[in-house]
Amino acid sequence: MNFNFINMQPYSNPQYFIYLLLALVPIIVGLYYGKRLKTYEAIFSLLFLFLIFDGDHWQEGVNLILYLVYEFIITFAYLRYRTKKGSPNKSWIFNLAVILAILPLTAVKILIQMPKGTVPFVVGFLGISYITFKNVQVIMETRDGVIKEIDPGTYARFLLFFPTISSGPIDRYRRFKQDFDKAPSREQYLDDLQMAVRYLFQGFLYKFILGWFFGTYLLPKISIAGLATGNAVGGLKLSWWVVAYMYVYTMYLFFDFAGYSLFAVAISYFMGIHTPMNFNKPFISKNIKDFWNRWHMTLSFWFRDYIYMRFTFFAMKKKLIKNRIRLSQVSYLLLFLIMGFWHGLTWYYIVYGLYHATAIIINDYWLRFKRKHKDKIPSNRFTQWFAIFLTFQVVCLGMLIFSGYLSQLWFGWK
Amino acid sequence: MSNKRRLWQIFGPVLCAIILLLVVFLLPWDRTFSKEDIFQAANSQTVTVFKGVKMKQEAFDDHYVPFYGSSELSRLDPLHPSVIAQKYHRNYHPFLLGGPGSQSLVHFIGMQGTSKELKNKKAVVIISPQWFTKQGQNPQAFELYYSPLETIMFLLSAKNNKADRYAAMRIASMPTMKSGVIKNSLKKVAKGQKLSKFDRVWLKGRLRMLENEDKFFSAFQLRDRIQKINKRAKLLPDKYSIKGLTAVANQQAERHTSSNRFGIDNNFFRSRLPRKELWKLRGSQRKFDYVKSPEYSDFELMLHQFAKQHTNVLFIIPPVNAKWAKYTGLSQMMYQKSVAKIKYQLASQGFENIADLSKDGNRQYFMQDTIHLGWNGWVAVDKAVKPFMAEPNGRYSYAISNYFYSKKWQDQTKVKQVDFADKANLKDK
Repeated sequence: MNFNFINMQPYSNPQYFIYLLLALVPIIVGLYYGKRLKTYEAIFSLLFLFLIFDGDHWQEGVNLILYLVYEFIITFAYLRYRTKKGSPNKSWIFNLAVILAILPLTAVKILIQMPKGTVPFVVGFLGISYITFKNVQVIMETRDGVIKEIDPGTYARFLLFFPTISSGPIDRYRRFKQDFDKAPSREQYLDDLQMAVRYLFQGFLYKFILGWFFGTYLLPKISIAGLATGNAVGGLKLSWWVVAYMYVYTMYLFFDFAGYSLFAVAISYFMGIHTPMNFNKPFISKNIKDFWNRWHMTLSFWFRDYIYMRFTFFAMKKKLIKNRIRLSQVSYLLLFLIMGFWHGLTWYYIVYGLYHATAIIINDYWLRFKRKHKDKIPSNRFTQWFAIFLTFQVVCLGMLIFSGYLSQLWFGWK
Repeated sequence: MSNKRRLWQIFGPVLCAIILLLVVFLLPWDRTFSKEDIFQAANSQTVTVFKGVKMKQEAFDDHYVPFYGSSELSRLDPLHPSVIAQKYHRNYHPFLLGGPGSQSLVHFIGMQGTSKELKNKKAVVIISPQWFTKQGQNPQAFELYYSPLETIMFLLSAKNNKADRYAAMRIASMPTMKSGVIKNSLKKVAKGQKLSKFDRVWLKGRLRMLENEDKFFSAFQLRDRIQKINKRAKLLPDKYSIKGLTAVANQQAERHTSSNRFGIDNNFFRSRLPRKELWKLRGSQRKFDYVKSPEYSDFELMLHQFAKQHTNVLFIIPPVNAKWAKYTGLSQMMYQKSVAKIKYQLASQGFENIADLSKDGNRQYFMQDTIHLGWNGWVAVDKAVKPFMAEPNGRYSYAISNYFYSKKWQDQTKVKQVDFADKANLKDK
């Protein structure tokens, strides 16, 4: 018999939610009565993981399994090293563990840039970045001694937590474990359910209506018009269409990604897990720093905690840079460059990183200047609105760089 | 607040939403589209219109005539059938159906929703020998044009006869058709089995939902080409004459093909055939063969559908650009063989309205680019379309033969030349 695999990419269409919610019913009933059905949860998660990685995507599934084995070896070897009596806690071993942990992701980022047909196998798998983030975080906290033991089962569930596997939000192991080890009280769980339903429907509105409108309906038209006009005017090929593209793309990206994140959080809440939120009204940010505390929050907090802070402490300890202002500037540059490279090894992602590093450094200058001249600089409703307006423009320009549309306009590829 | 009450407050709205959704999708809504929408849809060539039903039905009820074809339909120069019909206030409007990659099988599905509306009426088919490849219907294009709505219509009215079994088998074999009730039902029809009660109930429910979707959403995102058509129409002489049209065609074509020696439209040449691409294509079509193809049987499905509807059909067989064919090495002999085979299949079953332009590929400004009709090609099309449309509607009967579903016919390379002068002999096979 010709058996066609059903393959379901997470949250891709309305049917998916019907299957998903039906499968969730036992978990919801269980939690309502104060019981966490861990075995059912495991089977359910494995099934939905299988549905992501079966059929045409089976090679990705194999990659995922190989990757997990590899990461488990590194994490548990390092954990053993750190928890044995009188562990020497050498820096080079820690560095080695981190490098080994990010090695697969780095390789994937390089391999996907190779010309078509030169890599004879399927590279990576859906969500490799996000699993790597979780893993690196555990190694770092193991070094700090905050994580002293890891339960392999819980750890596997943490890494593979199915609602967030494809694109986050990035949870933290200790937080996850706390939720996972207990069933919430009924009162608490009812609150969770209430939030879950709300987030789910907000997600529908964001992703399937607004995201669709901006991304599928408007964007292609603007894109075509912009390219045509651009080719007609020549030079830098700029036109008002590019400006329109900038705003529409920003809206699309926000509603699409925030919608997805809401789904992930909603499904987590149904399962009694408080996966952190990813967005907090980013367009009312009053400056760039504020923006990064509201946009893709779990990612920017991860970069803040595990790159910015680590590097700052390291450089201070080694007295690499004495001037504190200079130091924070270098750290910002490092953070955003790495973020740029992580998005992909293309010029516009790297420029996007540099752009935001520059923006946040200028913002810092301005904040210091403002503090010094408090008495002379007015602060009222108008200046506050102006700050929001200006920040929004800066953010949108960044998104235009990020979209790769300029690359398409100027060089004909994306 | 009691827990029960809270649960209601949380999930009550969700239940309401689901019930509302079911009601909206399962109620038998009705609507009519505005004349402007239909006119736009007829010229938009979007897949939504292609896969939908309601717009086509309303259009065919209102003196629109379907022009089934593929990518040549989008060559919207001033001599395009839509422009000519608009300019000279013809008593018909072309309804363009098809685009890049649409072949007989998707057209057959696309005809399921309008069999009533086309009964005893007219249709035009631009049948390109390029459809008749070794593979037949391209699976990726099928994915794009596949209409679940009309496939269900087909299933619910399918009979246990050769044509329906063959059609079901062909549709089920497409990779687009994954598991599910539709695929299983297709397999049953292909095997000559009856659909179960559950199948029918499910299909009817799904049909209702898809019909509503079609009614609600198919007027969105129409490609608006009306302005373009009106602008092109201004270029045509006010009084219709072949001579006048030819003059416009020559003048337009000369301006638009100045960049190359093939007589290919400048834009097309620049964007689709840059030097590297051009090099690759040299001699690349030497082995192309349109004579052996499963497409002949898929094409028979279309003919079967026309016969069922008693539709009067005009078939137009376009040529390839002769200079281009020489460059790519495409064999004109093979091309003519496939044309002869198509014509035999048509004529032997009683489809006698055939405008065979296949030998005109070397006429100046006949093609807009490599394989697509343009300028003088469209003028030649109008020479056939105009008298065809002037004929009164009537009930046409055909002598359909199941032989054309056989592998033997698909692979047949020797075909008798059809003598159109000898009408008495035509139906006799």
